Amino acid sequence: MARYIAKRLVYMVLVFFLLTFILFSLYQLMPANRAYTDARAEIQTMKRLSEAEKATKFEELYLKYQRMYGTDTDNTLILYLRWLGFYPFYDGHYSGIFQGDFGFSYDYNKPVVEVVPTHMRNSFLIGLITEIAVLAITIPLGIKCAVKKNSRFDRFTQVFTLIGFSTPSFIIYIVFIVLFCSILGWFPVSGMKTPGANYTGWRNVLDVLHHVTLPTICLTFGSLASITRITRASMIDALNLDCIRTARAKGLSEKVVIYSHAWRNALVPMVSIIVGGFFGTISGAMILETMFGFKGMGLLFLNATRTADYDMIMFLEVIYTFLGLFSNLVTDLCYGIVDPRVRISK
Amino acid sequence: MEKKRENVFRTLARWLVRWIFGLKYEEKWFGIKKTEPKEIKFKDGVPDDSELIVSPGRQIFNRFIERKFAVFSVFVVLIMFAIVFIAPHFMTKYYDAFTETTQKDLPPTMDFMNVPKELAGNIKMIDSYSSFSVGLSNDGKVYVWGIGKIGATGIDIKQIPDEVKNAKIAYVAAGQDHIIAIGEDGKFYGWGSNRFGQYAVTETTASNPNLAPVPDVVLNGELDVNHIKRVTCGYQASAILMDDGTLYIWGNKQAYANLDKFIGRTNIVDVDFTLNYVVGLDEKQTSVYTGTKGLHAKARDRITGTKTQAMKDFLNGRKIQEVRAASTSVCLLLDDGTIGFTGDFPADVQDVPDLPEGEQFIDIEAGTYHFSGLTNKGHVYSFGGDHYRQAEAPKVEGASKLYAGAFQSYAVDANGKLLNSWGLKGYLFGTDDRGANIAERVVAGGRITMTVGAIAVIIEIIIGVSIGLLAGFLGGWVDIFLMRVAEVFSSIPLYPFMLILSSLLAQVSMTTDQRLYMIMVILGILGWPGFAYITRAQVLVARESEYVTAAQAMGVGTWRIAYKHILPNIVSVILVNMTLSFAASMQTETSLSFLGFGVNYPQPSWGNMLSRASNAVAAINFPWQWIFTSIILIITTVCINTIGDTLRDVMDPKSTNDK
Repeated sequence: MARYIAKRLVYMVLVFFLLTFILFSLYQLMPANRAYTDARAEIQTMKRLSEAEKATKFEELYLKYQRMYGTDTDNTLILYLRWLGFYPFYDGHYSGIFQGDFGFSYDYNKPVVEVVPTHMRNSFLIGLITEIAVLAITIPLGIKCAVKKNSRFDRFTQVFTLIGFSTPSFIIYIVFIVLFCSILGWFPVSGMKTPGANYTGWRNVLDVLHHVTLPTICLTFGSLASITRITRASMIDALNLDCIRTARAKGLSEKVVIYSHAWRNALVPMVSIIVGGFFGTISGAMILETMFGFKGMGLLFLNATRTADYDMIMFLEVIYTFLGLFSNLVTDLCYGIVDPRVRISK
Repeated sequence: MEKKRENVFRTLARWLVRWIFGLKYEEKWFGIKKTEPKEIKFKDGVPDDSELIVSPGRQIFNRFIERKFAVFSVFVVLIMFAIVFIAPHFMTKYYDAFTETTQKDLPPTMDFMNVPKELAGNIKMIDSYSSFSVGLSNDGKVYVWGIGKIGATGIDIKQIPDEVKNAKIAYVAAGQDHIIAIGEDGKFYGWGSNRFGQYAVTETTASNPNLAPVPDVVLNGELDVNHIKRVTCGYQASAILMDDGTLYIWGNKQAYANLDKFIGRTNIVDVDFTLNYVVGLDEKQTSVYTGTKGLHAKARDRITGTKTQAMKDFLNGRKIQEVRAASTSVCLLLDDGTIGFTGDFPADVQDVPDLPEGEQFIDIEAGTYHFSGLTNKGHVYSFGGDHYRQAEAPKVEGASKLYAGAFQSYAVDANGKLLNSWGLKGYLFGTDDRGANIAERVVAGGRITMTVGAIAVIIEIIIGVSIGLLAGFLGGWVDIFLMRVAEVFSSIPLYPFMLILSSLLAQVSMTTDQRLYMIMVILGILGWPGFAYITRAQVLVARESEYVTAAQAMGVGTWRIAYKHILPNIVSVILVNMTLSFAASMQTETSLSFLGFGVNYPQPSWGNMLSRASNAVAAINFPWQWIFTSIILIITTVCINTIGDTLRDVMDPKSTNDK
């Protein structure tokens, strides 16, 4: 098992480098030149110089900034290694993500590391509540539908999950916003806090809850359908297994058959969805956060792409890639926990 | 009756007939009640059921058509495809970037030309502007039809004030968001929006220097109704012209820069409003008076094809009888019964018809872009802007009066009976925030959304199936390598990657079509691993089967086995996933376009048509702008998913004895 994990980790690191290199090279194509703009801006402040002096001074400044930002070469590999922190800058120091320097957000005028945690916390909070609620609703529902396959209850649920599954999430959000904000007027449309009101203590908590409830409900509703369908499908497969027939023939109670024998088998295909869901909470829900103006990871990423906030995008991209790979690893390990057969074969 | 052989199309047609007309007609037309279970013959005392055995494909088909909803879905998807890919060829007037400010945010309606029944028999006059029309009957009653709600202001112009209902009205006219009326006793009425002093003087309008106030003579009801020559309204302004040339004009001076020049004039013969200027005709009747140098100073006798001449040369001694103004152009009726034009026309126009010998124009009316003319023979002709087919006049005999406004024209006979009306009927799904017809955009957008979905899936299949086949069939290190590659691709986070790519490529200048191809390719490239996994798994199963071993034993080549023996056996699984993946690609495209990173305006897609609804205020105020598009999108994806699900169910041998 340890060997397997080690193998996976090595593979993970390789893929991580590969993916970040692809993204990094893509970003080199962007026509943004920070050293140039900074040098231009500084030359504008020097008013007394003549044109010729300005030109020479500009060359000087441009080179200085290029060396400072580490862009004094056209070699993408060197740039990438510098970004990672494996290749020295002009003055010999190392400054890259392995030194903990993830760059500077020009939008927020802060190092990216300081901006991201609050957003990540917001996304994680709402995502975790959603994920728990979704699993608490869909798993019992899916099991019931599978056990009572083709019953009226099952057909009814099937219709709704089919519609829900086929509806793009943002349409569900629009309907909820119109229903709860405009028609019923229960929740505010957007934001995290009432603007202008500096509540403290308990009032503050209530205020935040008031703002966060609707996004949470929306997010939960958006993912109910697909997970119910998957639970139902894998449970139906599990109930068709020979071992279930044997268990029933042995005279085990229906409860034991379903929850102990069938569910255990049905869990195998569901592991990746459950684990992926939990990791997904950190990445944030892009569309939902945009629509509600919810300050989470998704909105942060979207705004960064809109304003071309280079370091921010790269940092978030690193987080996303890492989360994706890590969740793959955890999924594989969970297979081992859920399914003893997998453990042996490794 | 000889029983015809059942085939796919025949069965589908049978289902359609049963669904639309009922079982009775199905029996009548197809002569099949229900397939009776065949009698089992006995051969040598053993039941011979060889006839009952059907091929797997036929079995799947038989089971598929048992599912009513799935068959229904097939029809719906086929109809959607047909509409989306064929209908655009019939929308000859449609183009992506069309905008029309007077028509924005209008709810679904088809009532633009629905003249009320009580009015249709005794029309005295009709006037229209933007989205509504006002009519006056011979007995002095006012009727309003069309869309009365003015944007989100809460004003409903269809609510005619009680005093107007009770009074006998002599004249009515419609402006952008107001209606004015003059009673037979000279009393002045107005309703609708008064934000720019359209019909009353209030404290707010009086203090605004950009507004010309309603003249006191008009407000106090001192007008002599018998000597009123013309009542007309512009965007946010109105004018009353008397027989003696006195002009009363008021309204928003910011909308009409030269309004000041007309205030207090007493030598006007005719007046009308273009979109930005007041145009008048003074007593000399030799030029269009605008008070602005060079404007409408050159004229021509046709809309297209002829050169413009200076007004003096053009008139050549003739006099102008009437001026009628559309948005940017003015039509002149001359005293010899011919017409001339000044100003500019939109791109899509109908030119003036050549009148038969002896026929000449006696009246001209103007809409927003078109003109309608009445001749001395009682015929009507329309010309000018034709985007809404408002310049395609029907054949009318015996018309004696003609009214036009906005995008409609009405021909009326001597008794006030409505003979015919033509022009814009309304909008099935309403209009969007740029004034474009949502129904047309849904069709054009569906074409793009479905094309993107389909091409993306085809790319996915081509890459995924080839790689899956290679990996599964060759095995060994090729398998390991390809599966690792697939894993890398499937661990790329889709949305962030798409966003980065499209924001990156937004820096590169590309045409909208190139952008579309880019989206298809990206969706395809990021989506193939699913197909590769499935294909590989199926190949691994098929490789161990007897028929492949047999083929190998017979010395059939590796590639021949792969493509002739294994591929056909995994087609069914690919088919199922293709269907589901098609729906998924469509959803991804709509989500991306919704976020503004997919298909961009002016190209419509079902996603970017919904993006306006992300604003809660717009979503509640203009629900038709997202409801219809959403419903059509959901119906399409539900049907495609149903087909996929059903296919998977009926192909799964395990589920045979479920029913």
